[in-house]
Amino acid sequence: METRKARDYAWAVGAAVACTLAGRAISPPLDAVNVAMVYLLGVVVIAQRVGRGPAITCALLGVIAFDVLFVPPVGALRVEDAQYVVTFAIMLVVALVISELAERGRREGEARERLAVQAESERIRGTLLASISHDLRTPLAVLSGAASSLAQQWERLGEAERRALAATLDREVAAMAGHVGKVLQMTRLESGAAIPVRDWASIPEITAAVIERLGPRLARHRLVLDLPADLPLVRVDESLVEAAIANLLENAALHTPPGTVVHVRGRAGADSIEVTVEDFGGGVADGDLERVFAKFERGDMEAGGGMGLGLAICRAIVALHGGRTWAERVPAGGMAFRFTLPLEAAPRVPAEPVNA
Amino acid sequence: MGTAPTILVVEDEPEIRRFLRTALVAEGYRVVESPGGRRADIDARAHAPDMAIVDLGLPDMDGVEVIRSLRSWSGMPILVLSARSHERSKIEALDAGADDYVTKPFAIGELFARVRAALRHAVKTAGGGLVLRFEDAQVDLERRTATRAGEPVPLTPLEFRLLAALGRHAGMVVTHRALLTEVWGPGHADDTHYLRIYMKQLRDKLERDPARPAHLRTEIGVGYRLVAAD
Repeated sequence: METRKARDYAWAVGAAVACTLAGRAISPPLDAVNVAMVYLLGVVVIAQRVGRGPAITCALLGVIAFDVLFVPPVGALRVEDAQYVVTFAIMLVVALVISELAERGRREGEARERLAVQAESERIRGTLLASISHDLRTPLAVLSGAASSLAQQWERLGEAERRALAATLDREVAAMAGHVGKVLQMTRLESGAAIPVRDWASIPEITAAVIERLGPRLARHRLVLDLPADLPLVRVDESLVEAAIANLLENAALHTPPGTVVHVRGRAGADSIEVTVEDFGGGVADGDLERVFAKFERGDMEAGGGMGLGLAICRAIVALHGGRTWAERVPAGGMAFRFTLPLEAAPRVPAEPVNA
Repeated sequence: MGTAPTILVVEDEPEIRRFLRTALVAEGYRVVESPGGRRADIDARAHAPDMAIVDLGLPDMDGVEVIRSLRSWSGMPILVLSARSHERSKIEALDAGADDYVTKPFAIGELFARVRAALRHAVKTAGGGLVLRFEDAQVDLERRTATRAGEPVPLTPLEFRLLAALGRHAGMVVTHRALLTEVWGPGHADDTHYLRIYMKQLRDKLERDPARPAHLRTEIGVGYRLVAAD
């Protein structure tokens, strides 16, 4: 802001200097009155392009320069000469009027721009809403169908049908709870309400807890853990990092064929730890490696099940910790989703003798 | 236990109260319902329940206050129902004297497991001697011996104390702070990295698959839970 102000006034001074030079160039053949017109032109340009303050400055400098350099006796400032006070007053009025008009024009332009941005974000929000409502309505339709069927046709249903409907309810509600949880988490992350509570945590421990929690959702894949025993501790919000890893694993399970391997790797660098979830599915095209992290973006529409929030949540959480997320295609086919978390020097734990 | 255990349910939402009653009664428990925090204390004194289930999100009174006031005169196990992503309120409730928590939304099987662990704990505390049985390891906390597949496992004094702290609340969560205070002392209440290191050592020594522990479970953002075989 300050530097912009300084630049504006530099323009004003520059304009006054330019007008003086132009005046010197035309002055011998032309009258001093015409030189005054040159200064007026400078004031108009500054008022229109830059603003009120610089225009007033330009007018003031112009009048002084005009008086000193072009009004005889040249080289002296004669303030008692009333007609140059009038010249200055006119220049001042011109500066004020023109700058006011220009300012009004600028404001209108900005307002138009704001409206355009608003319309664009309305449009995006509309698409998101359509996407969310589709993803939530379908399981809701299944739920309300199964529930109302149980409530209203209980006697007419056989034991096996009742069981099947109840199992559907159980399964669909769990999926629904997952969807709603993700929408809430994304909202919290985006609104800045998720403030990380950092403490020392272990990536292998968090990974084990994720696998335990996701349980059946990972059961159709072969999980291979490659987390070195000497992996250093990280100072992170354990719950958030759990969610980041969970979303990567869920994403892998959702988009790769059952029976394929999902690899979880951990590696410590000089100043960060890198966690990778690698799968052996189809992968995505090179052009989509960045797009997959966008909200409501799904690799393949027909794969269904996910809302396209998992990778966006993972990225937001990692960013909150000062880390980086990216995706790579792996040579064997499939994808590697990686993220880093900064390492801090872990405090020592006093050694202790074993009492055998 | 000759008669069915009585459970006090402190919950303001009638729908949740109804489904909890239905499910618990079907499991063979007796249920007393309290529609809010203020009633909870009176109902607890009147019915002398064997345990309480308290929802943390009560409109008339802070759930943590309810726990504190129950805990001021009763030693019964208290199980907390809390919303996901509210680690802090869970920890506050546990620090105020709650024994365990279930995160909403929950599957009923999870709630039953917590209720069973809490009631079992109440009986065991009255008992005494503790032997922790893992898949292929066994730890005698009184004699301070540990074996794995018949072979002795050397454990350090602090490892024993950590196992004892977890074992006293077997089946239930113990917060980081509670473990650190009990094992290392109040001056180390925030040294979470001690726990990370020692839990890893214990898993390496006692778990069949230390990378996916079956007994020394992590409760993300809250603490640890020892799940021993019966």
